[in-house]
Amino acid sequence: MLEYIVRRLILTIPVVFGILVISFMLTHLSGDPTDLILPPDVTEEARAAFREIHGLDQPIWTQFIRFCIHASQGDFGNSLRFQEPAISLVMERMAATTELAVAAMSMAIIIGVPAGVFAAYHRNTFIDITVRGLSLLGQALPSFYLAILAIIVFAVWLRWLPTGGRGSWIHLILPATTLAFQLVALIARVTRSCMLDVLGQDYIRTARAKGLSEWSVVWLHGLRNAFIPVLTVIGLQVGFLMGGVVVTETVFSWPGVGRLAIQAIYARDFPVVQAVVLLFAMIFVIVNLIVDLLYAVLDPRISYR
Amino acid sequence: MKKILQTIVIAMGLLPVWLMPAGAGTLTIAQNFDPQTLWPNGTTASDNLNAGSVIVQSLFWEDPRDHKFKPLLATSYELETPTSVLIKLRAGVKFTNGEPMNADAVVHSINIFKDKKQAPSYGLYTGAFDTVEKVDDLTVRLKLKKPYPPIKVALEAIAITPPKYWAEVGLEKFGQRPIGTGPFKFKSWVRDDKLVMEKNTDYWGKLPDGIDTLVFRPVPDDLARTAGLITGEFSVAKDLPVTAIPQIEAQSNLKLVPVSSYRAYQVGLSSLEEHKSPLQKKIVRQALNYAIDKQAIIDNLFFGKAKPLNGQVLRPEQLGYNPDIKDYPYDPEKAKKMLAEAGYPEGFEIPFKFPTGRYAQDREVSEAIAGMLSKVGVTAKMISLEPGEFLRQLRVKELAPMYFVGFAPPNDPAITAGLFKSDWRYTTIADEELDRIIDAGATEMDVTKRGDLYKKMNAILHDEAPLIFLYYGSDIYGTTSKLKNFMPRGDGRFFLYGVSLDD
Repeated sequence: MLEYIVRRLILTIPVVFGILVISFMLTHLSGDPTDLILPPDVTEEARAAFREIHGLDQPIWTQFIRFCIHASQGDFGNSLRFQEPAISLVMERMAATTELAVAAMSMAIIIGVPAGVFAAYHRNTFIDITVRGLSLLGQALPSFYLAILAIIVFAVWLRWLPTGGRGSWIHLILPATTLAFQLVALIARVTRSCMLDVLGQDYIRTARAKGLSEWSVVWLHGLRNAFIPVLTVIGLQVGFLMGGVVVTETVFSWPGVGRLAIQAIYARDFPVVQAVVLLFAMIFVIVNLIVDLLYAVLDPRISYR
Repeated sequence: MKKILQTIVIAMGLLPVWLMPAGAGTLTIAQNFDPQTLWPNGTTASDNLNAGSVIVQSLFWEDPRDHKFKPLLATSYELETPTSVLIKLRAGVKFTNGEPMNADAVVHSINIFKDKKQAPSYGLYTGAFDTVEKVDDLTVRLKLKKPYPPIKVALEAIAITPPKYWAEVGLEKFGQRPIGTGPFKFKSWVRDDKLVMEKNTDYWGKLPDGIDTLVFRPVPDDLARTAGLITGEFSVAKDLPVTAIPQIEAQSNLKLVPVSSYRAYQVGLSSLEEHKSPLQKKIVRQALNYAIDKQAIIDNLFFGKAKPLNGQVLRPEQLGYNPDIKDYPYDPEKAKKMLAEAGYPEGFEIPFKFPTGRYAQDREVSEAIAGMLSKVGVTAKMISLEPGEFLRQLRVKELAPMYFVGFAPPNDPAITAGLFKSDWRYTTIADEELDRIIDAGATEMDVTKRGDLYKKMNAILHDEAPLIFLYYGSDIYGTTSKLKNFMPRGDGRFFLYGVSLDD
């Protein structure tokens, strides 16, 4: 087991390196950051001084090699806009993003999984149709639209919730719900179809024949068997979540990494963009490793060597 | 189930109590961006300067309420010779860490200001700066390499910092934990969330009435900024979308503060030799000016809040504004006739570049312009550019022959004039007489003579028409009606001097 984990972690090294190469190339292809960071009327002399300070005057290969060496030590260079280490800007905002992502994911699992189970159990009834309808709507509504709608209804009309910012749990409600909305829909749909599959299996009939309670049949025997694909989807959706925070954090003025990323992209603040991309990629890789390990916990037939 | 729902609804009903804004005495300002640094010489971005200069003051400021140049940490300046400026400082002012604000502090601050490595964004201002020396404890002499008429703009921009503290923490850290002489001092800052300042009870001047705590909140989304103003979470919201105007005007507890921006929107028309196009003929450039209905753009896209350029590049309150010049009237028939006269009776086709997402309504305005041009037979092939690419092309003259742009040069006619000099990086015109006038203006220290030169420049620009004169943008602010005497400036700057907040 331990050996497996180590092997998987070693395999992430080329993945991470690939991501570094791609993000470095894409950001540097986008153009010259001095166009956006300095005012358009500064002298060429000041522009040259700025390039020199940040090493942007070097040939791209020199820049890349230096970037790789520093990045492997966790140093992404100073942000061009803030004049501070990019990595510390990112880490400073990580807590806010984690809070939002965990809240949204928990909400999505707590609502999505039971909804899917109910819909499958009461197949083709009113409950099933409602869940299917809502999850279709959830997947169809873009999150930026939903977020603005939520602000207008709950903050401006009803005055129940603040329009944005971070503070108490009340501030978390709107952004987390908006972010969770699409996830709930997806998780509910996947849970439903997996449960439908499982509920038709022989061992479910056997469980009922043994005289187990219906609750135990559905939730312990049924859901546990149906859960592996659901877990896979959840793991993959962490990637979606990382993309979703960019939109949600901007609309709700949430002080997180997503918002930093979007501003860095607009300003061509390369070091920050690269640090964010790498961090998100690592989170994605690690979450999916954990998901793989959880398979073994859920299903004793799976073991890793 | 019904019970649970009832409980939830009741609980939700109680929520607003917890959401109450921080209470009397707090002024919460929502801007687009969180400051990158609170050191005002770190960038020229107005969102940074608005927050930073509440703490770190300058020598002078220009009051937007009467357009007068007023003393802050200096009491006056005089030109001993055209290249030597003597600055008298205010006595008895201390930084909030106890350091004295004196000639040493000012010399230190000017030396940083003119260092291109530390303050690259201000390179344009300091080209003429030579040396700076202490005369006595409250007098500083600034030597210039050449006469420099826009000296006021430079004096207004210098941020005065405490030398000991600066030496201790350095530029980066100073931007995060600034110490200054201003009406408020730094309290706490959660990046991208909330910047809190409290009033400086030892302030040398008059503190704004009724404001104990000042909070800056970065709210990037236009709609969220409007929503927060309406719900009372913010007392001031900057850069509201024009579409929010009717909504705010309808609320009795809110005040709409539209500010005529310094940003002059125009369509650049290159007459330069290297840019071959029909625009090289003066009569064609003039015809295009007749073809655009500026007022329709102002009324329909800006709810009437923008102001026309009056056919020149300086604002009425600026030195060199020429009252004899009027805007080209909207006259498509005349435009057509002139185009025919120029040899284009069937019109012509021309590329038209514009940014999307850099200026308010940039795409909409550009589309309107293209539509109006098509009515006189000119087919504008629209090319939309991402803001970064737009700025790059501007800088290397790749936008020509025709492009939509908004210039907001620092507030001095010499700097605006510089944009039309033949050797300027992104000029659209090369005219010998114009160059002579601009050069003369750049060193003329006599105010009347200077004014006359720029009046003449405006007349030439009007006639040569290297641009289609459009409008000054409008910066839309919304505030609570309790805030009194709040008047932002056209460069996106606002100040709290003389402002008060009622209970």
